[in-house]
Amino acid sequence: MKKMRGRTWVTVLLVMLMVVVSACGNSGEKKEEGGNKNANTQGSEGSGGTGNEEKTEGPIDPLGKYDPPIEISTVRIVNDTYKYAEGESIENNAWTRTLQEKLGITLKNKWVVSGDGPGGQGEQKMNVSIASGDLPDFIPVNSRQLKQLVEADLLMDLTDVYEKYASPFTKEIMNQDGPNALASATFDGKLMAIPNTGSAMDGAAMIWIRTDWLKKLNLPEPKTMDDVFKISEAFTTQDPDGNGKPDTIGISLNKDLYGGYASIDGFLNGYHAYPRQWIKDSSGKLVFGSVQPEMKQALAKLQELYKKGQIDREFGVKDGGKAAEFAAAGRVGLHFGTMSNPLWPLVDNKKNDKNAQWQSYPIVSVDDKPAQPRVGLAVGTYYAVLKETKNPEALLKVINLFVETGWGETTTPENYAEHFTKGGYERHKYIPFQTWPARKNLDIHLHVSEAIKSGDKSKLNPEETDNLSQIEAFLSGKEGTELGWGYERIFGIDGSFKTINQYVNDNSILMSEFYGAPTQTMVEKDATLQKMELEVFSKIIMGDSIDNFDKFVTDWKKLGGDKITEEVNAWYAAK
Amino acid sequence: MVEQLTLGRRLFVGTNYVVLALLSILCLVPLIHVLAVSFSSSAAATAGLVKLWPVEFTISSYQFVLAKPAFLTSIGVTLQRVAIGLTINMVLTILVAYPLSKEVNKFPMRTVYVWIFVVTILFQGGLIPLYMTVKYTGIMDTIWALVLPNAVPVFNVVLLLNFFRGLPKELEEAAFMDGAGHWRTLWQIIVPLSAPALATLTLFATVGHWNSWFDGLIFMDSPSHYPLQSYLQTVVINRDLSLISSSDMKSLAEVNDRTAKAAQIFLGALPILLVYPFLQRFFMKGIVLGSVKE
Amino acid sequence: MLQKLKSPNWPLHLMLLPGLILVLIYSYGPMIGIVIAFQKFMPARGGLFDSPWAGLDNFRYVLDMPDSMRILKNTIIIAVFKIVIGFIVPVVVSLLLNEVRKEVFKRGVQTLIYLPHFLSWIILGGILIDVLSPSSGILNQFLGMFGIESIYFLGDNSWFRPVLVITDVWKEFGFNTIVYLAALTSINPALYEAAIVDGAGRWKQTMHITLPGMMPIIVLTMTLAIGNVLNAGFDQVFNLYSPQVYESGDIIDTFVYRIGLVDAQYGVATAVGLFKSIVSFTFISVSYYLAYRLANYRIF
Repeated sequence: MKKMRGRTWVTVLLVMLMVVVSACGNSGEKKEEGGNKNANTQGSEGSGGTGNEEKTEGPIDPLGKYDPPIEISTVRIVNDTYKYAEGESIENNAWTRTLQEKLGITLKNKWVVSGDGPGGQGEQKMNVSIASGDLPDFIPVNSRQLKQLVEADLLMDLTDVYEKYASPFTKEIMNQDGPNALASATFDGKLMAIPNTGSAMDGAAMIWIRTDWLKKLNLPEPKTMDDVFKISEAFTTQDPDGNGKPDTIGISLNKDLYGGYASIDGFLNGYHAYPRQWIKDSSGKLVFGSVQPEMKQALAKLQELYKKGQIDREFGVKDGGKAAEFAAAGRVGLHFGTMSNPLWPLVDNKKNDKNAQWQSYPIVSVDDKPAQPRVGLAVGTYYAVLKETKNPEALLKVINLFVETGWGETTTPENYAEHFTKGGYERHKYIPFQTWPARKNLDIHLHVSEAIKSGDKSKLNPEETDNLSQIEAFLSGKEGTELGWGYERIFGIDGSFKTINQYVNDNSILMSEFYGAPTQTMVEKDATLQKMELEVFSKIIMGDSIDNFDKFVTDWKKLGGDKITEEVNAWYAAK
Repeated sequence: MVEQLTLGRRLFVGTNYVVLALLSILCLVPLIHVLAVSFSSSAAATAGLVKLWPVEFTISSYQFVLAKPAFLTSIGVTLQRVAIGLTINMVLTILVAYPLSKEVNKFPMRTVYVWIFVVTILFQGGLIPLYMTVKYTGIMDTIWALVLPNAVPVFNVVLLLNFFRGLPKELEEAAFMDGAGHWRTLWQIIVPLSAPALATLTLFATVGHWNSWFDGLIFMDSPSHYPLQSYLQTVVINRDLSLISSSDMKSLAEVNDRTAKAAQIFLGALPILLVYPFLQRFFMKGIVLGSVKE
Repeated sequence: MLQKLKSPNWPLHLMLLPGLILVLIYSYGPMIGIVIAFQKFMPARGGLFDSPWAGLDNFRYVLDMPDSMRILKNTIIIAVFKIVIGFIVPVVVSLLLNEVRKEVFKRGVQTLIYLPHFLSWIILGGILIDVLSPSSGILNQFLGMFGIESIYFLGDNSWFRPVLVITDVWKEFGFNTIVYLAALTSINPALYEAAIVDGAGRWKQTMHITLPGMMPIIVLTMTLAIGNVLNAGFDQVFNLYSPQVYESGDIIDTFVYRIGLVDAQYGVATAVGLFKSIVSFTFISVSYYLAYRLANYRIF
């Protein structure tokens, strides 16, 4: 017992000591860091806005190598699908080596966190880092975090850096989706971050239908909203799964109403209603889609479908994952979703039922005016740079190299494979700063369909070859190739990108008219207004008086909506 | 303790067994469900077909979760955390609870001290100030960041000080008579007498350290330093389907994988479930009878 | 009396010292962060005093929100029921368990009732949606056998709160049962023996020995629970509620989540947190004082 006591005390003392010692150590370290920074300064100290005067003369090379090499700090948000070859890691891989060799850039990760979902671990860690001012030089953020950093006046104006150092190809990609991506990172005319552009068209709403049921019940493919109602009714009442039980429903919905699966976006678009989007009214002003009269009409129809039992009576408590149970269990054959649905959750339906077949269709209209999908901004991540950073242009150089390696004219299949796909690893994930051509997925579909038809695979790039092999595995009829079915339903000849291609050819995809940073009142009131909207809309669908919509419009305006509209129009006028 | 079993007593005992058994089943069923899901095929689980028995039995989700080297690393971190954290927790709980269990007339400052501790349950500075504190004290990205901020579990202290007060005063006084100081009285008389209470608190502290994941995520700078629960939180990806970046198509197939999630829950809780029965022995024993009946 | 004074108090201070230092650093240190409640907090400024002061603006902002009264009401109703029922059930169960003579059975029950504690609300949410479903849920099928029309437990504003209370009690009662059981074992067996000699039956023993013996721990856990009067359980509500039951289920913590995490208004979120702390502090202080005055008992 005595011994124990002694040991305990030693432990406690040690702990206390460590706290004190490491606290001192820390402050010392900090000073050192500061000193190093000063030593590295190359005469651009304090230039803030344009910290890019390089000593090198002559034309700027967007892929120029740093000599001596530089070290840049950033943070990484990864997830569990990041896989590495033996001996490699996020700190040491094909990209980190290439960046060192070709650009003379060494990456230093201040922290790495796993979990990149919305509101997930990565976002939380970043929120904490931002709030406590514990930031690296190059910061990957979402739009809300970007706005915070801009307001705190911590970021460097990248306008000139972008102009000088972005390669023509990078600039092209940045603008492939229209000017919105860059505009969304522009504050008071200054570019404060580089967007990681995705693809807005990839988010366009479409109708997904089980065609095996369609054939069985002898129903036509949907051309109008009326067709959709007929299909929904038939799927509910005519026992499409043939089990003799009335256990199927017409249309799948999730409790969040919006989103990429079982949402109401595509349905509403058919009524020319555009929830949570900014649209131009007849007078040329921007107005908020959720409070327009078209919404009321669409909600009334949804209410009718709900009353008839064509919508799951309990959709109000089911999120996307829970709503997907109906699809996977073969109890629903129609929903409004997006191009990626076959990979989740429809593939599980295929696994449970070999005969299930899903097909996407363009959204349809309730009247003679064609229906148009409206999409939001396709930027998930922005790369911002702290003011005192020495080499802000390194960000652009990395991005230049990324797009050049991926889709540039100088890249080779070997080079592509080395940095994107080799060994079955998704190597492109290793590079911290990236941006993606908006048409990439559409091109995959076009090229892959072409190759299937012609049998000539020679023109495919490695990513396309990979997708094609998945599809071919499924088409060969082998067991356990349902995942290939998913790819076939997306990229194949009749895949969902056929629908998107149609949208693109008809030039029918509408963009949100507002793509600036969130306005002041938005930041303050958005959560409240969105919650109110969700509550009112859900209740209307489930049977509340449709007149509550008018009350919602009044409330929305009163509780900040009018102010937001004002701010948005001021932004529009200044654009 | 012999007693005659009256009819009423028998009836009560019978009912009692039935009621408690039903209650236990009610608590067991959800875990069985989770277990069944973890051994089912992903497609069946997604379709909501799994109830209390696996559908299309497979151990693939366990292979998925266990296959990663990070899993073993994180178990190591957790074991380290529990070992260090539990020791510090228990030692400090005892050291703090003992003085605070004294009467005011013997230890006038106790009330002040008590409130200093109790206030920390009620007022918290919030995550960001705590993060800054951890950073300034230089323990960021070390095991100490998981252990020191909650070194004194005040709730447990309050429980323990009440147990201490419930102990017969005569024992302590006798020890003082024998010339023992506070230290010896505490470790040689009080602590051995408090086995049930200490076992309870050990369980709480262990479960607390075992289950907490948020601090690991916030205070660790690399996934290789995550404790088990923080790591498991990242195994299953929840993705915003409305914003799938073009590069993420492949990971879609892993979205919302319920079977893997179920496996992770079970693996996460298993060690505690195994340890629990051992600690229970102490709950049952109660105070060492001999020493009470002087 | 004089003899007792011989044992000096300085070792007591010394014992408290390590815990005290750690608490001062890691609990009181961050408490400086409470100033954020009175600021228009600008993240990323690196310090707590670099943001502009906002006086009581953050509090006013909350009061001006359209739902603040509804939210407060929901929170208190849900929390109070959870406290009361969540207190009664473990006491009763621990008394029942105490009557069990078969050790194996006793241990088994103890282990099993602690199990739900290990399941997160995310998982339980999914299970409950199935179990409580009006169309296919087991519970409604069971009720249907008695001719009761199916109830939409999670989508009906009159049922949502009871569901929250019952499921929460079910999940956590095993935890408190353990505390009470530990208290039961510390009751001096001599008391029971004396009672039996006096001819007291089981019921009388329970009422006159067991319950009074548990009283200190009961009063204690009750007092600490009262501090939770504004904690209605974020994880649970967040995973079970839906737009249709916002009316009865929206609570302070879900509100703070929207303001703090979705909108990143740390000032407002901290102000609400401070409000909660002050209310809890008041309640705990009052019950501490009452217990001392009325029962001459110091809870802690």
